[in-house]
Amino acid sequence: MIDRRSLLAGTALAAGLPRFAIGQSDQRPSITVAVQKVSNSNTLEPLREQSNVGERVMLTSLWEGLLGRDYGSRLETVPVLATEVRRISDSVLELKLRQGVKFHNGDELTAEDVAFSFGNERMFGPGGPNSGSTIRINEVNPGRAGRELPVEVPAVANRSFPGFERIEIVDKYTLRWVNRTPDVTLEGRLARYGAEIGSRRGFAEAATWLDWARKPVTTGPYKVAEFRADNSLTLVAHDEYWGGRPPLKQLRFVEVPEVSSRVNGLLSGEYHFACDIPPDQIAGIERNRAFEVLGGTIPNHRLTVFDRNHATLRDPRVRRAFTHAIDRQAIVDSLWAGRTAIPRGLQWDFYGDMVIANWAVPKYDLAEARRLLREAGYKGEPIPYRLTNNYYTNQVATAQVLVEMWRAAGLNVQIEMKENWSQILEATPTRAVRDWSNSGLFSDPTSSLTNQHGPNGQQQQVGEWTNEEFNRLSVELETSTDRARRKAVFRRMLEIAEREDPAYTVLHQNATFTAKRRDIRWRAAPAFAMDFRAANWGV
Amino acid sequence: MLRFLGFRLLRAAITIVMVVSFAFVVLRLSGDPAQIIMGADAPPEAIAAFRRAWGLEEPLWLQYFRYFGAIFSGDLGRSMRDGREAIGLVAERIPATLALTVPALLIKLGLGIPAGITAALHRNSFIDRAVMMLAVAGFTVPSFVLGLLLVLVFAVQLGWLPSGGQEGWRHAILPIVTMGAGGAAVLARFTRSAMLEVLGQPYIRTASAKGVPWRAVVWGHALPNAAIPTVTIIGFMVGSLIAGAVVVESVFSWPGVGRLLVVAVANRDLAVVQCILLLVAATMVTANLVVDLLYGALDPRLRQRTA
Repeated sequence: MIDRRSLLAGTALAAGLPRFAIGQSDQRPSITVAVQKVSNSNTLEPLREQSNVGERVMLTSLWEGLLGRDYGSRLETVPVLATEVRRISDSVLELKLRQGVKFHNGDELTAEDVAFSFGNERMFGPGGPNSGSTIRINEVNPGRAGRELPVEVPAVANRSFPGFERIEIVDKYTLRWVNRTPDVTLEGRLARYGAEIGSRRGFAEAATWLDWARKPVTTGPYKVAEFRADNSLTLVAHDEYWGGRPPLKQLRFVEVPEVSSRVNGLLSGEYHFACDIPPDQIAGIERNRAFEVLGGTIPNHRLTVFDRNHATLRDPRVRRAFTHAIDRQAIVDSLWAGRTAIPRGLQWDFYGDMVIANWAVPKYDLAEARRLLREAGYKGEPIPYRLTNNYYTNQVATAQVLVEMWRAAGLNVQIEMKENWSQILEATPTRAVRDWSNSGLFSDPTSSLTNQHGPNGQQQQVGEWTNEEFNRLSVELETSTDRARRKAVFRRMLEIAEREDPAYTVLHQNATFTAKRRDIRWRAAPAFAMDFRAANWGV
Repeated sequence: MLRFLGFRLLRAAITIVMVVSFAFVVLRLSGDPAQIIMGADAPPEAIAAFRRAWGLEEPLWLQYFRYFGAIFSGDLGRSMRDGREAIGLVAERIPATLALTVPALLIKLGLGIPAGITAALHRNSFIDRAVMMLAVAGFTVPSFVLGLLLVLVFAVQLGWLPSGGQEGWRHAILPIVTMGAGGAAVLARFTRSAMLEVLGQPYIRTASAKGVPWRAVVWGHALPNAAIPTVTIIGFMVGSLIAGAVVVESVFSWPGVGRLLVVAVANRDLAVVQCILLLVAATMVTANLVVDLLYGALDPRLRQRTA
């Protein structure tokens, strides 16, 4: 929840930035950042590019929302393009826009642009919010020749803003967000990935949706100079940026799929930054004193997920045995060099007053795991564990460690290598255990626990798990405006999903590491996003 | 001759249909493009909308016939990743790949054939052993290992060349050398073997005994007869010009057809994969056809047998 203090702090920070920038020389550096992937969808539209890699290149550099997250701290919600947010009612917010914000095309940001950004044209399609209709690309909408939205964009928008009804323009710099239903999470949703603001005129002038999505006109400190799909993204400074003159003349992301190639390119001086460095490479890179590896935990937790329909896992005691047989600290120490953490279940500190402070992941207790298996009458039946080849960092090594830990408790878990998510999720009687990760998309538990494990979340949608009480509470968590009651509901949901009838168990917080030249003064954010704004350069 | 050509073309068409059908079945049965393209965390309704939009909910046989119907009407489909025409996406990448594979082919020919001939003509000498040692090394070291080794030496240690990317001609040197070295080694070994076999033939001894100068024996009698196995290998190399740089393009971050193929297969982006496979199959089949015709030109006995 955004509060007055953070609003003031953000505004003060923004006011200070231009003064810092004025003192800068015109001889700004240009840098190159080697990433594994620039964009999975080959677009730069957050509503289509729903990925960590997209967040890295787009957030803070290119796109901005009305509210955002404090990347220099713990990802708390902070004001960005809005300076003031006021609750009119449980379902209506009034927002004052920052004045003098310029888009990359020179236009000033107004409430019209916000209305466009959350409008049918860009977000929900012709049917409007929650219309439930789909256009068939091959027949009705061939080739997206015009500005028709890809079908997944309205679906993502409806999921991101489930109760959205309309934006009301009060005046040039004031608008109201009107929800159909009461929602205490609106401020958080406005700060989430996907709630960014684009230029209405920029969209209108793009020949096709794809043209827009590859060169969006936004307010960020850098603007798109060139985007070569599957190859590179070149951004250049947007000198009219409201937050001060950007410190870099050019910011270039190049796609280098191989880790060794990224590291070699860094060491040879071609790249200033190399992203997605596996933990086991950190020591090798830092042996050269000219380089260092930054980064750490991000708002994403690694999970082991259970299918309760599997014959052996139907008994919750077997799943509970899984959760108690994991020595999470050993995994963090051995595979992550201690550079990540074990969270307090599926929650993050930026949930603020919704954090259940005295909650923890199930205790590592082999005796308890064995007792549960004995009680459940488990006789060593094989339990398949579907695994992809390092989709997640350290995934295969973690799986091998887990299998041995589970074996120590008496569980006979057998790894089955799969190639892709479709094979992992295929609903057959052999689906039992798999890997997953969940992100905290905004400052409320609905962003993860409900979003991923609730009745409309992936786990229930693919038929792995369901729980009547959990589902009832899930609806209450989404609709209740009583904060105390919501917190109690959240706690009970954690009890069900992580203890009583485990849907998943949290292993550790995910982390991402970025190698860079030591002489570059820059801080890594506790997220995938890389912040190249003035306040984070030369620090 | 026409019958020969007609038969080869019919065989080529059947090969292409089989390649495309096999790829269709394998790719569609081994993963749902919607789930893969939208990612592990995509909302279920987005995945459902994607499936409906691209007709992925229809029976596989219907998708298959729809796809083939489109091909025969000249429509190779669209990429499910960004909606662009597959043929356009692939065509964009071809120049980048050819910028590597054509110079690499010239290196293979320019180094491999002379090295093989030299080794054969100096059989069991120091030259032969040196050439073969290098050839075996070039043949057995995988291209990704050689590529990384070259990067370590020439980019990281010496700083002479860039380690990857596609910014200019300097960026192409290491990938070209990586590809060229392996291919030259293969050609050198085949050429040497073929030459040794021919040099042991009675007609070579006869020509020498009749007093024909050795140089003329080699050029006039040994080389043409030793060319057939070498031409076969060259045919394969020409056939893989379009998609023969998959590994090297990945190691050197070179945005060519090979990398597009890797990404498209991983995403089950069917239209793009099929488009590349069609091109590869067509190139390979054409190269084989040309090789078949060259056989006849090189050896009149084969021409007569075919006729």
